[in-house]
Amino acid sequence: MLTNNAPQQLTGIALPSLQDEDWKYTSLSPLVAALGAAWWQQRAGTPVATPSELTLDSIRINAATASCDRALPDGVTLRPWRESDHGLFDLPPAPPLPYSAKLARALADGGICLCIADGVELEQPILITHPEATGSSARLHGIHIGAGTNATLIDHFHGVATGAGVGTSLCQIRLQANAALDHYRIQQNSASHFHLGRIEIGQHRDSRYRLFAAELGSALSRLDLVTTLLEQGAECTLNGLMVLAGRQHADHHLHINHAAPHCRSRVHYRTVADDRARVVFNGAVRVAKGANGTDSAQTNANLLLSKRAQVDTKPELEIYNDDVKCAHGATVGQLDAEQLFYLQSRGIAKAEARQLLTIAFAEALLDTVAIPELRKVIEQAIMAKLPHGA
Amino acid sequence: MIKIENLHVEVDGKAILKGINLTINAGEVHAIMGPNGSGKSTLSNVIAGRNGYTVTQGSIRYFDQDLLEMKPEERAWAGIFLAFQYPVEIPGVNNTYLLKAGVNARRRQQGLEELDAMDFMQMVQEKARLVELDPAFLSRSVNVGFSGGEKKRNEIFQMAVLEPKLALLDETDSGLDIDALRIVAGGINKLRNPERAIVMITHYQRLLDYITPDFVHVLANGEILTSGDAKLAHKLEKEGYDWLLEKDTAA
Repeated sequence: MLTNNAPQQLTGIALPSLQDEDWKYTSLSPLVAALGAAWWQQRAGTPVATPSELTLDSIRINAATASCDRALPDGVTLRPWRESDHGLFDLPPAPPLPYSAKLARALADGGICLCIADGVELEQPILITHPEATGSSARLHGIHIGAGTNATLIDHFHGVATGAGVGTSLCQIRLQANAALDHYRIQQNSASHFHLGRIEIGQHRDSRYRLFAAELGSALSRLDLVTTLLEQGAECTLNGLMVLAGRQHADHHLHINHAAPHCRSRVHYRTVADDRARVVFNGAVRVAKGANGTDSAQTNANLLLSKRAQVDTKPELEIYNDDVKCAHGATVGQLDAEQLFYLQSRGIAKAEARQLLTIAFAEALLDTVAIPELRKVIEQAIMAKLPHGA
Repeated sequence: MIKIENLHVEVDGKAILKGINLTINAGEVHAIMGPNGSGKSTLSNVIAGRNGYTVTQGSIRYFDQDLLEMKPEERAWAGIFLAFQYPVEIPGVNNTYLLKAGVNARRRQQGLEELDAMDFMQMVQEKARLVELDPAFLSRSVNVGFSGGEKKRNEIFQMAVLEPKLALLDETDSGLDIDALRIVAGGINKLRNPERAIVMITHYQRLLDYITPDFVHVLANGEILTSGDAKLAHKLEKEGYDWLLEKDTAA
């Protein structure tokens, strides 16, 4: 376990303000209001034993205890995170660390290091459960995927409301040559929880990283994802589905670094915001000077179910090369009145018709979930969040 | 079945229907004809309950209920069906799912048990044959990737599945080639029965060559100028609407 000397380390880390470009639309003041000005000193409670609702056949790891429910398959090792592990995962150039990374490192009180050796084919997905706790908890995780290895990883952040809590996590992932990782990240924390997450990925030659992020829970949730396509042929697909209601706030900042030639990146995010929910999406792509033949595309579609819901979406392209293909597009809209009337005229009640059209909007992304049980859980969670009588 | 009295309707403050009187009984087939912009589609939209239409005067009674008080889905449950002039594409909503949800919602309202999946599929496939709809369409998203003719056929197929008491067919014939028209008309004819009323809105005689209406009404400038039987449609085909419109101005 790491020592939690957060108060000292945090002395140079002011909370980001709205003047900070990266935090322009996300204020952490609700967090301070819920947990107090010295929120990081709130000792984390023991996570309430709520088993992850995901019952699918998987190798199950508890991130809070760094333990696994069974003997790990050959080629897979698991141990608690150590300070020196940063040396394995950090990518040059050396930081100035952004806020979310500084925060996680300063507060870290545990985490796991999961390594899968070269050439391993796992039959089951690995499910890492992140049960929420009251107070402040922070984790550092390292995931190493060996050359030619194929793996599926499901991160499940979940919990029940027992009091205000904030979970901070930094997950560093390294994909060796020709490795492939399907990464599902399901955030279903309770409404009294705050979630500040960061993922840093380094991708070597011909590796493939595929993210499916479902953003469903928490009062406020932020994810910063940075992937660096280090060597040619690397590929990343970042898919995200955010469904928010009440006064929920979710913010995803993606940052794709095309550092090598002939790499490919795809981003497809869809968000549904009801009531007074607020969504922030920022998709940054940086193409380095030598990254010839870069192929990058991003789309972001947003559906507002209420007049008071709000979305801020922004692509950010920084291109230092002429030989690139970079496409981006964003839309913000409401449910289509014609479609709604069509369904009603066929005998489907308005509230149900709204649900149906909202799920239909999410379908394009749900279709990318390759595990049927997981898809079902996400779909049901979305259904449960949608208004029943509108 | 339905009784429309002195119906006045505005859209965006503009008067579109100016005192429509029309009674339709079970088993009857009515054709409502008239030039573009005469208010034909407005009439069917008001009956089906589409938003954006303000009834300023008059009433619509349907099986002795105040129709205008009912939501669109309640009208559907009570047996009203509108075949859209422009059927809507709904990506992500499966054709069969839509119909199953519609049929079962109505059955629940009627206190009947929901159809089980097997019975429903069997019924649906039977009805698809009625308009020669490729069963592959059943598992596709509603109207997505359908040609104009396929969309119209899909509307009549939906009508067959939902078994309405009052079917409003809004320009179901437009945009159909002659083969598609024959298939669609054939489907409609098979759906004619003594318990069901059908209202066809069209500005061409073409559809009426295949489906003989009991009544023909000419709607122009928000009013029914004249009504008659199938012969009226033939006269309109030969002479156009001008003689009626002139008569109207003279009066």
